[in-house]
Amino acid sequence: MRRPSFIPSIDPFLLCLIAVVTAASLLPVRGAAASAFDVLADLAIMLLFFLHGAKLSREAIVQGIGNWRLHALVLASTYMLFPATGLAVDAVAARWLNPLLISGVLFLTLLPSTVQSSIAFTAMARGNVAAAVCSASLSNLLGIVLTPLLVGLFIETRGSGHGFDWGAVRGIVAQLLLPFLAGHLLRPLIGAWVARNKQILMPVDRGSILLVVYSAFSAAVVNGIWKVLNLSDLAALLVLSAAILAVIMLANFAAARMAKLSREDTIVLLFCGSKKSLVSGVPMAGALFAPAQVGMVVLPLMIFHQLQLFVCAWLAARYARDPIAEPAAARAAVPVGEAQIAAVAKDRGLTIPAECERGVAANLALLADHAGRLRG
Amino acid sequence: MSGALATAERVRSGASSACEEVERVLAALAGEPYNAVTRVLAERARREAAQVDAALASGEDPGPLAGVPYGVKDLFDVDGLSTTAGSALYADAAPATADAEVVRRLRDAGAVLVATLNMDEFAYGFATINATHGTTRNPHDLARLAGGSSGGSAAIVAGGLLPFALGSDTNGSIRVPASLTGIYGLKPTHHDLPVAGTFPFAESFDDIGPFARDMADLLAVWQVLKGASAEDISAAPRLARLGGRFRQNVEAEQLAAIDAIAPDAPLVDLPDVARARSAAFLITAYEGGVLHREALARDPLGFDPQVRDRLLAGALLPAGLHDEAQAFRAAYKATIAALVADYDVLLAPAAPGVAPLIDDPVVAIDGERTAARATLGIHTQPITFLGLPSLAVPLRRPGRLPLGLQLIGKAGGEAALFALAARLEADGIIGWSEPGAGLAKQGAAA
Repeated sequence: MRRPSFIPSIDPFLLCLIAVVTAASLLPVRGAAASAFDVLADLAIMLLFFLHGAKLSREAIVQGIGNWRLHALVLASTYMLFPATGLAVDAVAARWLNPLLISGVLFLTLLPSTVQSSIAFTAMARGNVAAAVCSASLSNLLGIVLTPLLVGLFIETRGSGHGFDWGAVRGIVAQLLLPFLAGHLLRPLIGAWVARNKQILMPVDRGSILLVVYSAFSAAVVNGIWKVLNLSDLAALLVLSAAILAVIMLANFAAARMAKLSREDTIVLLFCGSKKSLVSGVPMAGALFAPAQVGMVVLPLMIFHQLQLFVCAWLAARYARDPIAEPAAARAAVPVGEAQIAAVAKDRGLTIPAECERGVAANLALLADHAGRLRG
Repeated sequence: MSGALATAERVRSGASSACEEVERVLAALAGEPYNAVTRVLAERARREAAQVDAALASGEDPGPLAGVPYGVKDLFDVDGLSTTAGSALYADAAPATADAEVVRRLRDAGAVLVATLNMDEFAYGFATINATHGTTRNPHDLARLAGGSSGGSAAIVAGGLLPFALGSDTNGSIRVPASLTGIYGLKPTHHDLPVAGTFPFAESFDDIGPFARDMADLLAVWQVLKGASAEDISAAPRLARLGGRFRQNVEAEQLAAIDAIAPDAPLVDLPDVARARSAAFLITAYEGGVLHREALARDPLGFDPQVRDRLLAGALLPAGLHDEAQAFRAAYKATIAALVADYDVLLAPAAPGVAPLIDDPVVAIDGERTAARATLGIHTQPITFLGLPSLAVPLRRPGRLPLGLQLIGKAGGEAALFALAARLEADGIIGWSEPGAGLAKQGAAA
């Protein structure tokens, strides 16, 4: 039996990120080397989106796309509930937290959902994987357009003057959307190769993020990030991230109950609707914000990302082993024994002829075995 | 007896006429040794053949299957006949007032319906042991089962008496008999081919599909049934071999063939196969029980003894259990779709070995003797559960009892199955073998 591998409780990637932030703090790249790093990071991101475009299967999307009610809920969570929560945090915390960090918190609430980990967690929890593929992909695709628009709408209108430029949307298109479309259009030629060599995606995924983070943090360090940030800021970010995640997950759970979603679809809403993509967020921040601001802006996202990984891994493991999550109300017993069989038969207007009694009882015993196996 | 395309070519070119082809087949069917035919439709066949010949004479195109004779499992509506589903209970039912949709499509393509064919009563079984019509025999060894429930359709094609036939597949009822009789049989993507005008069994799984002796014929018939051409596949399909339960309870030669076809393909273990099969059993039993509940209340002893106890048991299942099995199915389908998304064709055995003997209709499953009519579908049932298309293909092994494989595709991915099967056939790995002399041709006039 093959199941998606359990995501370790301490994500090695977290350690890499910490190492890169530490390296950028101690040895920030400067001057001409910094420019070279920026170009390298841009190219890595373009390659990343190109490969994702080539990898995205239209079949999985078509299979899951019919579940429109679920997708609407996931998108509403990602692009309505999250931004509303971000704006509320902005209003409450603006007085006592660094404005750039607040922008970072708001920015993270405007991002699309993750694709890979949403699906991995959904599979682990025995949720509706095809719908998760569809929802997460849809969220990610829409994010390429929606996130810059929302950033323009909310971060600019709050008047913080953080230098958002509509020209940056063009940057997003050139850096993310065009490579993605190019990859997808070339899928007939290179899709099979990418599918066979999926292992190349992870280093590109992670390597490009680490490059961008190093480049962004170097710029931030050069501009004095650690002079304006202190431990209390980091602690405040952790508390805010936990509060946002709790609000979103509880709201999604309530929405799933109200919409009477199945257990499998509830899992999709919980995981796809509550996550924010580091893979999309970091390059978008690079394209949307001034280089010196990127490090501060992505810091809340990095903290939120790790927190969501821990929480979702715990939740998925709980779903995976919790039989109570099965549709308990639907459990129904197969009639066994002469008295039970006769009672159910009478209830259904059937008479079991004497010559069939043994055969019917044997068949029901077999079906009871199957029911037991179905329920694990 | 030639194949469908060869027959159509003869008729269309004028080398033969539809009427001549039909007379030849009617003569052969009169003494068929397999107990595969339930009704010979001579009058209708002669009428349809004459229409094809008249169309040709007036310069019209009678269709790609001009003058090709064929038969249908006894659960397809045929205008003017009772649809019996192999049961004496429906022998005197009101006649159908129109042909089943696929029969209509075949008629429009010039094919000529000549017979209805034997089956397990109400399609509930993998053996074609029928209380009314008797047991259908395997053309490769008349002492063995042809498999079921579409056993009549498979035997008549495997024996060379008809170029193609239609069957239905609810849990493996096309693929199991195709495997045991050494021909090709397609279970399409769920509900990809129209089931309108067929007697249902378990609507969650019911599908119809064709049997043929070679890939070209099967493809030609499928295109008529589908009303569309198969997508042209030029790239080599991405293959995987199914592992776990699909490599148990099989003949070593089936595994060796799979490994030879795709030596480097990954071995994919579908999770929870036993659970899936149990859910399929429960859904089938429940839906079959609901369908026949009224008749079971009215005349339980009118049912075939092989079937009535199973249907009665199904009629006593709680609806909640059916809901539970369906909920599991929805989640399972999604999980497997994601798991196999990177493959075009999955390879698996079609039936657990060669055809069982009629006098000892059992199959060894995990070392235990089990009833063939219930367990021959052990490898097909989980695939039906997923709604995926699956093409049963015969390993080429002249002079020996047939063994079959399943080529399983993505939903709507039949074209990849056809392309791979055509290649394997051209390479001599799969293909129909003529049943041995003295067994198959006793009553065949061809």
